[in-house]
Amino acid sequence: MRNRASTSLSKGKIRQSWSKYNLYNLQRFRTPATANRTFFQQKWTAKATSRAYHGEQVREGQWKRMFSKRIRSVIPMNTTDLAADDGSKESAGRGSGLSESGGRNRSRPIPYTQMAFAPLERRLDVAIFRSLFASSTRQARQFVIHGAVTVNGQKMRHPSYLLNPGDLFQVDPDRVMYATGAPKTAFERRETRQLKQKSDDAEGEEAEAKPEATEKDVKENARDSLRALMSQAKTIMSTDKDVLPAKRKQELRGFQKAVRRVLSRSDTSTVLTDSLEAQFSELTLLLKAKRTEKKPAKESKKEAKEETTATATKSEETASGALSEAFQAAAEGGAVDTSELTDEEFDILKRALTQMRDNPIDHSKPYATPWRPRDYMSAFAFIPRYLEVNQNICAAVYLRHPVARPGSAEVPTPFGESISTPAYGWYLKRRW
Amino acid sequence: MAQRIQSRRVSNALLPYLTSSQSSSTSSISSTCPSSQLFSRQFSATAAPQTKLRRQMFQWLSTEGATLKHHIPGETNYLSGRAERDGDSNEAPRPFPGNRNFLSETVLSEELRNEVYVRVVEKKKSLRAVSVELGIDMKRIAAVVRLVEMERRQRAQGKPLALPYARAVHEMIPTTPLAQEGERQPFHEPINDLPAHPSTGAQIFYPVPESRSFTRVDAGRVFSGAPTLEKAVADKISHPSDLVDDIIENPNSIEWVGKGKNARQVLQPADVRIPHPQLVKLELDRKAFPNERRTVAQRHAERLEKQEAAEKQRRELAQARREKSIQHVEPERSRFEYRIQDAKFTKETVGVDGRAPWAPGRRYGIPAEDRKRGMVKIPTRVEA
Amino acid sequence: MVLRIRLARFGNKHTPFYNIVVAQARSARGAKPLEVIGTYNPIPKKPTNLYDDNANARPYKEIALDRARAKYWLGVGAQPSDPVWKLMGMAGLVEPKPTTFHKA
Repeated sequence: MRNRASTSLSKGKIRQSWSKYNLYNLQRFRTPATANRTFFQQKWTAKATSRAYHGEQVREGQWKRMFSKRIRSVIPMNTTDLAADDGSKESAGRGSGLSESGGRNRSRPIPYTQMAFAPLERRLDVAIFRSLFASSTRQARQFVIHGAVTVNGQKMRHPSYLLNPGDLFQVDPDRVMYATGAPKTAFERRETRQLKQKSDDAEGEEAEAKPEATEKDVKENARDSLRALMSQAKTIMSTDKDVLPAKRKQELRGFQKAVRRVLSRSDTSTVLTDSLEAQFSELTLLLKAKRTEKKPAKESKKEAKEETTATATKSEETASGALSEAFQAAAEGGAVDTSELTDEEFDILKRALTQMRDNPIDHSKPYATPWRPRDYMSAFAFIPRYLEVNQNICAAVYLRHPVARPGSAEVPTPFGESISTPAYGWYLKRRW
Repeated sequence: MAQRIQSRRVSNALLPYLTSSQSSSTSSISSTCPSSQLFSRQFSATAAPQTKLRRQMFQWLSTEGATLKHHIPGETNYLSGRAERDGDSNEAPRPFPGNRNFLSETVLSEELRNEVYVRVVEKKKSLRAVSVELGIDMKRIAAVVRLVEMERRQRAQGKPLALPYARAVHEMIPTTPLAQEGERQPFHEPINDLPAHPSTGAQIFYPVPESRSFTRVDAGRVFSGAPTLEKAVADKISHPSDLVDDIIENPNSIEWVGKGKNARQVLQPADVRIPHPQLVKLELDRKAFPNERRTVAQRHAERLEKQEAAEKQRRELAQARREKSIQHVEPERSRFEYRIQDAKFTKETVGVDGRAPWAPGRRYGIPAEDRKRGMVKIPTRVEA
Repeated sequence: MVLRIRLARFGNKHTPFYNIVVAQARSARGAKPLEVIGTYNPIPKKPTNLYDDNANARPYKEIALDRARAKYWLGVGAQPSDPVWKLMGMAGLVEPKPTTFHKA
């Protein structure tokens, strides 16, 4: 289906989209004037305005068949009130002046007509948009058509599939990250191209280059490297806004390199592993080992010098004897450094590591890495109660159909009752 | 092209630290400065006319809309503004300024989700009990258990997860936290929602003598058009929640009225139809035995146990019946499994002439409506 | 007159669906049968991957069969066609035929 419904400023229509044009339209939207307009005109305008938002991708005839004048509503019941009487008190003396006014059951009115477009919320594409898995319903629709969505574990290629209560749908996490993440800048796009070219070229060069690097690293002082690691971790984790993103990215890249360097010393086998997962587990393991080494040292002598602890651990290492020479050297370097690390620093380092594992720089991804939410996403971020969403796996369960309750309606709509009521009225009357 | 240049310039003026490495060089140019716009238009070969609306939009985005660009962790950042939220802080925030009736309600936090999973799966508590403890709807509890289980499996399998995305979303939207030790767990949502029954939509004029007490049970019968209860039966019901026990034992015991197509079950009072009818009984007990908390708790526990046992038995029976009716065959020389379902092709199931539309299998002589306008041609359900 | 238990094809192009029917042997495939006693969907369905134990489950094909009627018709001498024999053999209503051997 061709998208005839762009977000234009001149028309000022509100769409199901996170674009900034849409945000501006939403902000400058005013309820249409009703004075000097016939009732038909009012209903027509209301219908046109609300249909531009609700199911703009659905043909009018299709929507008319879906429309139901029955609106689901619930009343939250209070068990104490129910237990208090059997209802006979409320029915007694009706019409003879006994009815109490302003009793405890006085509640806010139920906004029924806000639910006029509730049947559309059952659609798979709309539900994906509502679960914040796509930045617009159109995009959600594309995900479905391209086969990135499963319903109850089966691939579902119909965006108009009507979810049943209890249906579990899941979107490919990579697509979700792409849809909700900031787009790449020109600089990053260029890097991606270069990466692609590199991978296309022969990989022999890289293999040659690597051993050299490791040789150089070995010569470096271990203490310096970990200290550098620390400072980089701090800059990464700092929430200070003054740090430029480019700077931050540089630091992150440096950090990644430093981690690799440390790892290269710890165990020869991990040098060549490029997978972050393996690196991370290796490093945390190493850190944990250091921690356990450090604690007994603390207990025995608080003011122990660096060298003494180093030798102590060294002797321990040699005593165990089973470890390879490479690992021994790493432990030696590590032990010197850990004595300098405070608990705070250790925490920061650990968090930086976690962040690096969860949100790495990866130019092969179609979004800017490390991932960050796209601009203006927060203005549209809400999840209605009829969905239960797990963002980690990008899956959600459609619990039940949306309902109205006193004071609120669950169908997310930017329009107030002055628009939804005439729109509901338009569809109530059969004109076709 | 012009659009991209424009937007970048504005965003740079706004937040110089956010875009690419080029940002620092151009950030000094002010977006609102008219001379700079003239300047850019003169030298642009493909200059798009800068409409008044676009100018206004970028103006707005750089001034009032600037706060909307990025969120502050732990705070919502809606168009309706932070100012409004400060006014009535206990109300959920409204994402749309034009709609007072839509609230951005809280979602379960990561810890609370895991807590639900632990209580249900590891501590083996019933959905009903956990629902009352944490103030979460039973359907949501079931969904959370499914999702967390799926997440754990995917983590174990090393499948890709969207962790930074999840963190960002939880920073943007309001969440229900898990209470710390010693704190009271805040309730997530109302758990005793009574769905409005369609038959209560009609306004009925029903005169009742003043001498008679007209309870919720009677109201339900009037709405469903059932005859008034006989006095002997009515007198036995001291409170509408007395009906709950029988219905939990056997949901089919609810009386039917009407014939044929119009056959319907008598509308039950709210005490029966709410998801947690046992809580009404608990309140009644509390009123009856105000000073005996242990008795009340014990009676409540007994009732809960009885109810869960009945529900479990019914579930298991249904499951057993389903499994008994399906025979699974896996032939050795085949790649497939065959599921042979028992079916009854009788007059009742296929109609007098064997052409009833609800009959199993396809039928001869009835028009195929699968290509007709307005018919649903895509799957209507997916087996879980 | 020979009575046969056989398959009658329904469904659209590339989406076959069969009714298991009892019919006169010489009647047309699409003619109205004496009785419909079951259905057979030859398009395999994949079990959902939502649960662990489904990881290496086979794809399945669905059969619905009225066993009582099938037994009756077999009792009065209706002859199943080869494909139906295969299905009924799996349901345990008839002795499965020995598999044929092809030349290599």
